[in-house]
Amino acid sequence: MINLQPYENPQYFIYLLLALLPLIIGLYFGKRFKTYEAIVSLAFIFLIFDADKWVQGVTLICYIVYQFLVTFAYQHYRRKTGKGNKTWVFCLAVILAILPVAAVKIWPVVPHKPGLDLGFLGISYLTFKTVQVVMELRDGTIKKVDPVMYARFLLFFPTISSGPIDRYRRFAKDFDKAPSREDYIKDLGYAVRYLFQGFLYKFLLAWYFGSQLLPYLKLQAITMGKGNFLHLSWWLLGVMYCYSMYLFFDFAGYSLFAVSISYFMGIHTPMNFNKPFAAHNIKEFWNRWHMTLSFWFRDFIFMRFTFFAMKKRLIKNRIRLTQVAYLVNFMVMAVWHGLTWYYIVYGLYHALAIIINDIWLRFKKKHKLVKHTRFTEAVAIFVTFNAVCLSFLIFSGFLNNLWFNVPLGK
Amino acid sequence: MKNSKQLWLIFGPVICAALLVVGLLSIPWERTFSAGSLYQAAASQTATVFKGKTMRQKAYKQGYVPFYGSSELSHFDNMHPTVLATKYKRDYMPFLLGGPGSQSLSQYLGMQGAASKKAVMIISPQWFTAEGQDPAAFTIYYSPLHAADFLLKAQDTEEDRYAARRLLQMPSVKDSHLIYNAALRVAAGLPVSKTQRALLIWRRRMLANEDTFFTSLQLRDRLAKIKQQGAKLPKTYSYAGLKAASEKEAAQNTKSNRFGIRDSFYKRRLNARLLRKLKGSQKKFDYIESPEYSDFELMLDQFAQDRTQVLFIIPPVNAKWREYTGLSQKMYEEATAKMKYQMTSQGFTNIIDLTKDGGKKYFMEDTIHLGWNGWLTMDQAVRPFMAKKYVAPSYYLDDYYYTRGWRERKQVPATSLTNKQVLARLRSK
Repeated sequence: MINLQPYENPQYFIYLLLALLPLIIGLYFGKRFKTYEAIVSLAFIFLIFDADKWVQGVTLICYIVYQFLVTFAYQHYRRKTGKGNKTWVFCLAVILAILPVAAVKIWPVVPHKPGLDLGFLGISYLTFKTVQVVMELRDGTIKKVDPVMYARFLLFFPTISSGPIDRYRRFAKDFDKAPSREDYIKDLGYAVRYLFQGFLYKFLLAWYFGSQLLPYLKLQAITMGKGNFLHLSWWLLGVMYCYSMYLFFDFAGYSLFAVSISYFMGIHTPMNFNKPFAAHNIKEFWNRWHMTLSFWFRDFIFMRFTFFAMKKRLIKNRIRLTQVAYLVNFMVMAVWHGLTWYYIVYGLYHALAIIINDIWLRFKKKHKLVKHTRFTEAVAIFVTFNAVCLSFLIFSGFLNNLWFNVPLGK
Repeated sequence: MKNSKQLWLIFGPVICAALLVVGLLSIPWERTFSAGSLYQAAASQTATVFKGKTMRQKAYKQGYVPFYGSSELSHFDNMHPTVLATKYKRDYMPFLLGGPGSQSLSQYLGMQGAASKKAVMIISPQWFTAEGQDPAAFTIYYSPLHAADFLLKAQDTEEDRYAARRLLQMPSVKDSHLIYNAALRVAAGLPVSKTQRALLIWRRRMLANEDTFFTSLQLRDRLAKIKQQGAKLPKTYSYAGLKAASEKEAAQNTKSNRFGIRDSFYKRRLNARLLRKLKGSQKKFDYIESPEYSDFELMLDQFAQDRTQVLFIIPPVNAKWREYTGLSQKMYEEATAKMKYQMTSQGFTNIIDLTKDGGKKYFMEDTIHLGWNGWLTMDQAVRPFMAKKYVAPSYYLDDYYYTRGWRERKQVPATSLTNKQVLARLRSK
């Protein structure tokens, strides 16, 4: 049985673009073949979850049905019961929407029979979408969710496995119309460019850093670190930089693929990365790195928490409030990555980094300490880059291998 | 600008590039290699050379002889086979194949379509663990080109079905649907389908072209190192002279520890804390039951098909290290006896068994790798083996060695390599 994981190798793009060809031709002539698009989408989703992954596929179907029940029950409550806007109902809806992904994240730390797994590829990213819709229903920015559009939005296959995380209203606006020929030709130009940039990132650079250089560096770091304080050796620095490069090119490459394929389909899925290593502080870094995720967190965790705390007057001091909000924001993100010590440390690290950065910026402004020059800019970028790479070393989980004798690959 | 022109500006380059690449790689290309790059390839031990084919084939025609082995091949001290062959301008030159983690299965695949008249094979008993080939290490040496070669020649034999089954257990084979599905058919005893065959031939040509053109660009030049080691040797070959040079070099390099391990290795890889941990840590090691025995049979099968004359070397473990880690010499000898039984009973009798020499002075370079006097002892077998004229050997292959019964068998009758009668009796079985 053929099983195709999204963007796994160059052949995948040949199958995919052949399947999309009628759709592309249709869009060129100003027509969006919606039924055909649904068939292609479902076929490629089927190919992700068939063969030995069928259990995941069944879970996906159950999950979608469940999320539909949650979303439309809440929409019904908001619309049909008149002014229904109780906070507890809203909280209940959000909790129910998060429940499956929470269960999946907690599951690995619960003792259980090996081989028995919940979850499926992309569950987190689907949850981001459903939670967003529930929240916007509460805000009233989404008045009515169309069930068919909602299904298309959730199951839009270019982004189903790992984002970028689109927003319902933006997606629906693109999908409702076919772009003009002039615009579509521009889209095709971008699509091809992003596709090839993705090839360069994922199949050359990420491949080189991740499967050629990194295993060697890891092995060296483990061998040479033996007996040293904290198993430290210069090789660990190599692992740190190499992993950071791998992580960026792998994920940015993947995101470019997802955006490129979306553009071929006439959907402007938002970009995920914008030269993150050129950021001159941590805050700016998060505006450039995995942007759709950090914006989601900004809108639905950071801002919500800030408003909630202000309304309830939990914290009076505005500066303190922002700091607590950062902590909450990054800890939620950490827990979302998984319940391991290194994700938690990674979250704390970034929260602290951004808090310290804020303190420094205020301090600098108040005392007019440093004049901004090209040199200070370079220093800032250098410091930020290294701070970020260190956080990725923590994130990689390699320290678990190094310090606790966990075999590589486990 | 007209739309069609704009479309052409977007897609034209992509289409042209794709046609050019596929077209160029689909043509059969021939080329020659300079003597220098063949020499570099033979001594370089890189994964690219291992995964390739063209350089092996061309080198074998020009006096290179494959030295199949694993990590010991990278220990270039002054008695290393390549150093000796270069210094004394011998008629043969080792083509080093293997590195850390390469075992029988990778070697077997690499032999496809690259037959040689003679070969030297250094067997590491350390391969023969309960798990056998480590899938992660297999990935390093796995070449789709080799896999395509294997699948295209595969028949409905025990050998090929077994090899296909083993391949299917390795994660890297799943990277290609074509290879994976063709291997499924071979494992089931079915011929590769017509479409699969056509696609495999096409794929193999592209991979072979990549190998032909790009492998020689990524060689590692060890000539300086080889020359530097060779400079310490006597001008003309004499065993006594070499022995003296070997011991002098070894004595200089093993001052730091009581195990006779090379100082640089000892300093880099071992320290007091680690040593304490390793004490007695290998008591339970067992090389007697292992899937490797059947993988090993694949290589023997290939040697028989290629009618290759093979010299096998079985190295020992550093005796002081063995005692320290608690590795059982009895187990080690039983395991090597099992390997010897497998070889001799099928007609592979040219075996140099060094199992008992782990305690000899300067024999090992570190814990498990041959060094100085060990290499020199091996050379005493390699030199006459290479000097002798090639005679097509006769082997008697037995599918029994592909069975679980053999892999898990604990007791085998001892084989005496010098007793011709015993050998004859084994053959007549």
